[in-house]
Amino acid sequence: MKALALAAAELGDEPEGRDVTLEAARAGDRAAFDLLMRRHERLVLGTAYRLAGNLEDAQDASQEVFLRLYRNLAKLEAGNLAAWLYRVTVNVCHDARRRRPGTVPVDDAPELAAAGDPQQSADQAEQRALLLRSLRMLSEKERAALVLRDLEGLSTAEVAGVLGSSVGTVRSQISKARLKMRDFVERYSRRRL
Amino acid sequence: MSCAIWEERVALFAGGDLETGEAAAVERHLNQCAACSALAADLRLELDGLRQVHAEPLAAGHYAAVRGRVLAELAKPPRRRLVWPWAWAAALAVAAAGACVVWVMIKPAAIPAPELPRLLAVAPTAQRSRDRQGAVISAHVRRRRTERAAPSVNEQRRLEVAEVVRPPSPRPPAAEDSPVRMVQLATADPNVVIYWLFEEKGEER
Repeated sequence: MKALALAAAELGDEPEGRDVTLEAARAGDRAAFDLLMRRHERLVLGTAYRLAGNLEDAQDASQEVFLRLYRNLAKLEAGNLAAWLYRVTVNVCHDARRRRPGTVPVDDAPELAAAGDPQQSADQAEQRALLLRSLRMLSEKERAALVLRDLEGLSTAEVAGVLGSSVGTVRSQISKARLKMRDFVERYSRRRL
Repeated sequence: MSCAIWEERVALFAGGDLETGEAAAVERHLNQCAACSALAADLRLELDGLRQVHAEPLAAGHYAAVRGRVLAELAKPPRRRLVWPWAWAAALAVAAAGACVVWVMIKPAAIPAPELPRLLAVAPTAQRSRDRQGAVISAHVRRRRTERAAPSVNEQRRLEVAEVVRPPSPRPPAAEDSPVRMVQLATADPNVVIYWLFEEKGEER
């Protein structure tokens, strides 16, 4: 859990000792809870954004995550907070996605190939949009594994802990996700030509 | 075209997810296979690009908006807890069970036990075949035996009726001579009167 411990330290948590902010928030101090949210908002909203694929849904999910954090303050320990937030963020995003299914399958993305003039849009912005789009082509589990491992920088074991899966399953999901993304980008590049 | 059997391992290798031994094996294969080497290069490029995109921070306003919404939600007065349908069903079941218990408990009081028949009179009836001397006249009511010294007007009338229907006898019957006796029993219902005819040997008519 090296990466999670590092993340917690960067965010101001003190795994070995007390977290005064967390204790104050537990006592009902709203200002302390606001500070706690500021510490973790990058983790929560950033992850939710990559999982949900759009900012509006990501903000809704982040709001739900922080409300759950507030309700569970008494049960949480400072050292486990980052892992708990990742887990809840993934779960909330999955729940929201199940309520509003809108995944675009890999084979059904012609609008991306047809959008704009290929000659004019062959720049970094397009590549950026293409990568984000490829992320949305993945299944829920594959996307969660890839976001946590490749974007959030958690180890495979940490990802397995957050997702409640085995390390072997996570490794399989990550490799498949990377290959699918690469296939998607390659197919798009061929269409442009 | 890359080697299908190496694809998964190459994908893991590109992200640095292989143990030292496995990574060395993949590296040896990449040195010999141009397709897999190209695949690994593409994967690394895409992962780097994705990490750069993800590293770009969102506008501060987006974070502030979430915090504001959360704090506004917390500032709202606590909502009344929803009472779920199953809770209502459970409450109804408990109430029904309680009502059944109460009904069972009060039922005996509400419906009193019927009053046992009371003995009104014992009278001789018509002799059937032959007289028997010394016949014992007895009437037994198990639970309650009420004997009245003086029958009421109605009872008297019944007794007179019993006398009337008695067939004529060659000699006037005496109470002790007649083996057939009639017992008149009154019940709680004034419309119901029980007449019991019996002989000495217990043979009823």
